This record gives sequence, structure tokens and C-alpha cells, in this order.
Amino acid sequence: MDLQPSETEEAIRAASEEFLRDAFPLPDSRNRPADAWAKMAEMGWFGIGLPEESGGIAVGLGAEALVFAEMGRHIAPAGAIAAAVGARIAHDAGEQALAQDIASGAQRVAIGLADYRGFVRALDVEGASLIVVTTAEGGAVHELPAGINTEDCLDLSMRQAVLRQPLGAARATVASRRPALHQQIAAAAFALGCAEAGRDMGVEYAKTREQFGKPIGSFQALKHIMADMAVRCSAARAQVMFAAMALETGRDDAPFHVVAAKRIADTAAVENGRANIQIHGGIGMTDEAHPHLVLKRAHLLSHVSPALASDLLAA
Amino acid sequence: MDIEFKPEEKLFREEVRDWLAQNVPPKPYPLDGEEAKAFDLAWQRKQYEGGWAGINWPVEYGGRGLGLFEQIIWFEEYARAQAPFIGRCFVGVNHGGPTLIVRGNEEQKSYHLPRILKGETVWCQGFSEPGAGSDLAGIKTHARVEGDELVVNGSKIWTSYANHADWQELLCRTDPTAERHKGLSWVICDMHSPGITIRPIRLISGEVDLNQVFYDDVRIPLKNVVGGLNNGWSVAMSTLGFERGTGFIAEQIEQSIRVEHLIERARETCGPDGRPLIKNEKIAEELATLRAQVTTLQSMTYRTISEVARTNTPGSESSLIRLFTAETSQRIARCDMELMGADMLSYTYGVNEGPDEHVHDYLRDFANTIAGGSAQIQRDIIGERVLGLPRSR
Repeated sequence: MDLQPSETEEAIRAASEEFLRDAFPLPDSRNRPADAWAKMAEMGWFGIGLPEESGGIAVGLGAEALVFAEMGRHIAPAGAIAAAVGARIAHDAGEQALAQDIASGAQRVAIGLADYRGFVRALDVEGASLIVVTTAEGGAVHELPAGINTEDCLDLSMRQAVLRQPLGAARATVASRRPALHQQIAAAAFALGCAEAGRDMGVEYAKTREQFGKPIGSFQALKHIMADMAVRCSAARAQVMFAAMALETGRDDAPFHVVAAKRIADTAAVENGRANIQIHGGIGMTDEAHPHLVLKRAHLLSHVSPALASDLLAA
Repeated sequence: MDIEFKPEEKLFREEVRDWLAQNVPPKPYPLDGEEAKAFDLAWQRKQYEGGWAGINWPVEYGGRGLGLFEQIIWFEEYARAQAPFIGRCFVGVNHGGPTLIVRGNEEQKSYHLPRILKGETVWCQGFSEPGAGSDLAGIKTHARVEGDELVVNGSKIWTSYANHADWQELLCRTDPTAERHKGLSWVICDMHSPGITIRPIRLISGEVDLNQVFYDDVRIPLKNVVGGLNNGWSVAMSTLGFERGTGFIAEQIEQSIRVEHLIERARETCGPDGRPLIKNEKIAEELATLRAQVTTLQSMTYRTISEVARTNTPGSESSLIRLFTAETSQRIARCDMELMGADMLSYTYGVNEGPDEHVHDYLRDFANTIAGGSAQIQRDIIGERVLGLPRSR
């Protein structure tokens, strides 16, 4: 039992953190450069848990969760979730060339949310040629229909599309619950990072902003809000890492651990996102400041493979 | 990362499980009085004889000297076997004993440690006072040195099982002229000494197992001072460092078991609308979150223990776990009351078994965010020591 990163895992995490700090600063999340996707692919982030023959680096879902949490902290493009899941679906379906295409960034993948009202919501859709849709029964990589209309998304880092027409041809299909669980843990790791971003931003501001002649972080009313933010992050990190390892090692209770991780991480991200705005006060209400970017990302993630009560209560 | 236990740890789990299956006494357990004291001591004795007493105590002091992950396994199995709460042996095994091991002299250790492990003595705590709760350094109970004795006057409060205790870890002011944190001493007080009066305190659950203790010229041999005269603050800090240890793992497993019972009840019991309670969306959502939270508590513990196993220093994260555990327990209790509906009104004051146990626990769990450092003090600690925010006071 060791729920702290191994040396290899820590090296991968630290390298990703360093790269993100330079190439993906959070304040730029709404205006990423054109080569952002290629950079992520170059770092190997779409194939962390993917076997080498499909273009991955095969270091497992634990390492993937560590890196995705770092990406979450920087509000890096969320489409990375679909790329990792899509590449794995392609590999498991025996479509190695497709897996390599996705892992190398040659084809960009959007997140597809099948809506009960009969349409598919495509997230982070700009520049994508493929879309991943997962359900409890299975997961598939489809071609994106041509000529779709993209529209604004609450999460200002991306554009979305509401697809009422049939999706394009299925390029790879897997009939198991694994793709859905993979997407759920990947999104949970992003949400964990998002929760940490809210905590860190709030703490940073509270250390420097002064009122009544003191940093506002010295006031218990605010300090206690931030203590709760820290508790949520710690809870989310522990459960996300445990769940990622449970899925990686194929434990019977992996589905429960994954959905629990998603519930805890989503709550942490959204609650911390809200608290961060309150800590910032008036400036937190402005478009110019960054707290709203974190909250909006948190809401987005909560709708990607949501943690349903029915799944949590399943025997 | 690796979430599997090692093969030798799995074997160890089997060993623990077998021993507990054969030795955990049958329920019901006596709840109070001399009978309960005798029961607690006999169970401690049985663990001692089985080689399980003081599982985290060094072997040289009669303990089992288990590693961190073996301690986790022990407490996990202990809770799953629904073995008795440590009760009157808590302070000796988890507070007083460990403090003596690191700060006591040879005479103190060789007298007290074996008696604690064998279930021959009961210890109680004497830190908080009516005027010094969260602000522990503000204690006023004082002890003046007269020859080779201390003469103690004052009062302590919230002392569990004071009426059953043989010994007390007593924190008192031995130098009234020194600064607040200096001039305190940690003393072993014989609870049978003349001049001690015990006043029981009835709690909101109706039980009477906490007390206020009064000291009227109580004489304690000077050789009972642990860690040096006027050095009590640092000794008390070691004591509080032991308070949590790995023992709270059993508490977490108990919380998981409690949530599973709530889910079962919500499936089997109908609400006022005639439908099973689990069909009520609000209740289902709450139970779902609770189930996620109790499993998360376990992951948090594994993660922290993994850090301790590598660095050999307790991580700052333990204060986070503590707050999350306390608040989760209260949330479980609130959900329990939601499930009970108007049946919670059928509570017999002070009863802690059968259907009354639910309301009892709901009321008693308010203590979880008060005792041993209130949730507000915990948040100050997290804010200042974990997040590095400027001090409030």
C-alpha cells in the first residue's frame, strides 16, 4: 500500500507541472495558442496509460490522474480527457492506427455528452475531427459530422456544439463499462486540479490583499473558508488517486471508487470555485479577474460523466 | 502508487481476523458502572494475553511494535469484528502510556506501563478547565512545591471516567510568575488521594460519564512529575500528538458500517408518503454523498500513512482528516435522524442501546467538533500551518 507517487510517477507529474506553468498559464486559458493541442500531444499526455504499440507511454492510470490534476490546475484544454479515453477505446478495439493518430495529436477529439433529450453536446469541439461518447454499456469514437455550428460555452476556454444530427461513422467501439469509468476518473482528476486552483488562488489573494491594515487571510471568517477548501482538496486527491489505481488494477470495487472520486472532486471544484469568488470580493465579480474561469470549468467538469446517486448507491 | 497490501500483510490480516473471531466477547456489553469498568479491563487483559496489547507501543515496553500498515490492518479488522470500544483503557493506552514512553523516567515507565497494558489500571485526563478550553495554556489549577511534594488546588473538567480512574495525567501551573506556556507541569496524580472530589456532569444525551474534578490541597509526590518541573507544556503537546495516532481508523470503519446500515434502512423503511425512504431524492443524494465520503476518509488515511511511512514525520494532512472525519460523523447522524422521522421523539433519556442508540449517537456526536480541539481551532491550524495564512491571534 502506497498512495503517494512512486519516483517515476512523481518525475512525470513534476515535468508536467513545470511545462504547464510555462506553456499553459491559467490566465491564458480563454485564449490558448493554436499549437496548444500539439504541445500536449508532444508531452505524451494523451497516451499516459496507453500501451506503447498504440503510441502511448504505458505508465498507468495513476500517473495519468497525477498529470490530469496538474492540467486541471492550469485549466488546460479539457478535450485532453476525450483524447486519452478515445485513444484507449481505439486501442482496445484493435484500431491501432487510430489510437496512434489520437495520441500523436494528428486528430483532435471532442468530449461528447449524450443528452436525454436526444442530442449530443460536443465540448471543446473547435478543431476536432473526432468525438468520444461513453455510456454505461460502452464507448465509441465517432467522426464529427462536417459543417457543424459551434457556439459559446459557459467555460470560456472552449466552444461547444449541440449536435442534433446523427454522429459520423464509428471508428472504434468498445462494449464495456471501462470507457465510461476511464472518462469519469479522468474528469475527476481535472476537477481535483480545478479545486486546487480555486484554493491556491484564494489563499494567494488573501495573503496580499489588505483591509483594516492587515492581510484579509488573518481574519478567521476567511481563514476558515480556506481551511474547508483545503479539506476538500485533500479528500479529492486521496480518493481520485485511490480510484485511478483501483481501475488500473482491475479491482471489483473500481466502479464504486471511481464514482465516489467524481462526486468528491466535483463538489470540491464547484464549492472551492464559489468560495474563491467570495474571498476575492468585488474584484472576483469581474471578467478581468480569474476566479470565474475556475468556477466555470468546475461546472463544465461536473457534467462530464456526472457522479449519479444511483451509481453510488448500487450494491 | 500501489493500493494492494503486501502478501505478508495479507497473512497478518488473516491472523488478526482469526484471533478477533475467537476472542471478541459476545454482545451486549455492559454500558456503565463497575460492571463496565471490569469489562473494559478484562478485554484489555485478554488482548494483552493474546499478544495484541499496545499494538503501536515499542516491544521493549511490552507492546506489539507493529508497523503503520499493520496498525491499519489491526484497526480495520477490529472495527469489522465490532470489537468493544476501548472505553476506560483509552487514556492509559493512547495518551498516558505513550507520553511516559517518550518523556517518563525509568521508575515511572517500569511501574505504570505494564499495568496499563495488562488492564490493571484506569487512567483519566486532566487538561481542560472551566476557564481553559480551546485556550489550554490559560489553565489556572496550580501546584506549589512543599518539600518533596506538590500541593494541588483547582479544578479540571470534561474528565471521562474520573470516578473509575486510578491515575490521572494532570496538567497544572507550578510557576505562577512564568509566561503562560511556561511554568506548567505534567504530573501523574493518584485519583485515590485525599482532597479530590468528583462531580458528574450529565450530557445532552442524558448520560453521565464526564466529570468535573476538584483538588483541595491534594498532595502528589514530586517524583510524579513527568519530563521535568515547569516543562509540562511540551509534555502535553506530545500527549496530544498521540491522541489521534492510527486509532481513528477504527472510527472510520465504524462510520462506513453506519452508512451501510442507513442505506439498508432507507431501502426497507417507508416514509410518511408510504414509499421507501430511498425513493426520496433528497435522502438518496445524501446517502450517496455519505457513502462517497466514508470511502474517501479511508483513502485519505492511506495517503497520509503512505507519507509517514516514507518520511517518518506525521504529515500536516492529519489535521484535515480529523476535521473531515468529525464533520462526516455529524452528517451521518443528521441523516440518521432524517430517516427516523418522528420516531426520534421516542428517546429514553440516557439510554444507549436498541432504537435509542441512534438518537443517543446524534446527540453525542456534537462532541466530535468540540472535544480534543474544536473544529474552529482545527481550521485555524489548517489555515496557518497548512496554507501559511497570517496568524489570527
